[in-house]
Amino acid sequence: MDHELHTSEEIKTVENVEKKLREEAKLLLAEKKVDVLVGYEAGTLPMTATPCFITAPEEADRLVWNAFCVQNLAKFVQDLISLHRQSQQRVKPEARTRKVVGVVARGCTTRSLVIQLQERQFNRDDIFVVGVPCGGYVDKCKVAARVAGQEIREASLVGDQLSVKTAGEAKTLPLGEILADNCLTCRFNNPVISDLMIGSPAPAMAPESEYAGVEAHEKLSLAERWSYFEKEMAKCIRCNACRQVCPSCYCPVCFAEQSQPQWVGISEDETDTQVFQIMRLYHMVGRCVDCGSCVAVCPMGVDLRTFLKKLDKDVFELFGNRAGSSLEDLPPLSQFKEDDREDFIYDPQKAK
Amino acid sequence: MSENQAPSSWEPKIVAIVCNWCTYAGADLAGISRIQYPPNVRIIRVPCTGRINPFYVVKALQAGADGVLVSGCHPGECHYLTGNLSARRKFATLKRFLSYIGVEGDRTMFTWVSASEGERFSQVIKGVTEAVRALGPARNLVKQL
Repeated sequence: MDHELHTSEEIKTVENVEKKLREEAKLLLAEKKVDVLVGYEAGTLPMTATPCFITAPEEADRLVWNAFCVQNLAKFVQDLISLHRQSQQRVKPEARTRKVVGVVARGCTTRSLVIQLQERQFNRDDIFVVGVPCGGYVDKCKVAARVAGQEIREASLVGDQLSVKTAGEAKTLPLGEILADNCLTCRFNNPVISDLMIGSPAPAMAPESEYAGVEAHEKLSLAERWSYFEKEMAKCIRCNACRQVCPSCYCPVCFAEQSQPQWVGISEDETDTQVFQIMRLYHMVGRCVDCGSCVAVCPMGVDLRTFLKKLDKDVFELFGNRAGSSLEDLPPLSQFKEDDREDFIYDPQKAK
Repeated sequence: MSENQAPSSWEPKIVAIVCNWCTYAGADLAGISRIQYPPNVRIIRVPCTGRINPFYVVKALQAGADGVLVSGCHPGECHYLTGNLSARRKFATLKRFLSYIGVEGDRTMFTWVSASEGERFSQVIKGVTEAVRALGPARNLVKQL
């Protein structure tokens, strides 16, 4: 491979990765190393990329890799494998087939895969991770704000510039200004596990400021924090899109739909929505990789990240664990240490 | 809840979720030793603090509890060896998270009371009741319908 292209110019790197990805995908499918490859293809609207499932080498040219690829594909890996396993349950043991799911994975996707592996959703050899370096993805809301909410007719990425055309005007926006918040402060923009790495590692983002939003929020008074939570959750229409898209939300029956016991009320009372959100957010302790999929799909623009990031911060502060960063580590709530911090324990002697 | 609306006659309602082996026995000891503690507490007995789903706490708050107390065996004394150690991690994050979203920290309390600590049980209940009384009736997260 032309190595200078990887390092010298950003533009060629991204296109190169895409080209290389297609070549490798063809090989993987032709050699039957994977039965299906989960990747991204161009969406039907400008500035979109949709998840796609490639099963034949000749389809591999549909694959794309660019800054419009938003969704965390680990969700589909778990879906495909669990569906396949279900389908094999009634098959005679000698007739059972194995299915290897390949996945085009950026840093956060691999972290989600690590979490699913830690939680024994599948075996390491059930998946084939095609790692890609990631420079972050475009936050559509930020672009919309820059073009005053007009419909975007055309969009193209050239290097680190995004050119958009609306009905009235054409604009060029630097990528650095329109990347999603979670991408800007991403700590793991290169895959943590991979069977095949495409392209050279992406340059680091700015992880040192990843908790800046949380720290600012912590400084607010209790009443301000509550009113912010109330305001954000009042937007929620409980469409469950955040749950559907989250790679860590794979329970066959979600607590939100359980009726015995009924965890979450179905009334219009705002506390039912708040409790749903608290419970879903709390399920993400040590399991949220900050991929931003839930934020990207939320039709109401609920600020979930402020709350998810807090859980991430606490888990790191208390237990020194970063979700999905290592295959050897156990999930933080599945383990304990004898000397875990106890400062929150109520002591009647000290309270006096 | 309706009685929360009348501040003059308001008394805090506290849900105490306690483990069968230590704190419940500790409460029993407080009872047979005739140690007084406030009647504001409603005790729910569970096998182990490790069995407590953190949602119980959230659910109790939504159902109108002014405070929730979770209490189990001291670390290292769990009947099931490590249930309370797993619980400790859950509640450390839960307490921080609830206070982050705007539920007062003193509404969710976690402590350890062993089977021989009847006196401590009474002190805990007194302390928690006073702390919750100081906060007043719960408003946030309480279902009104």
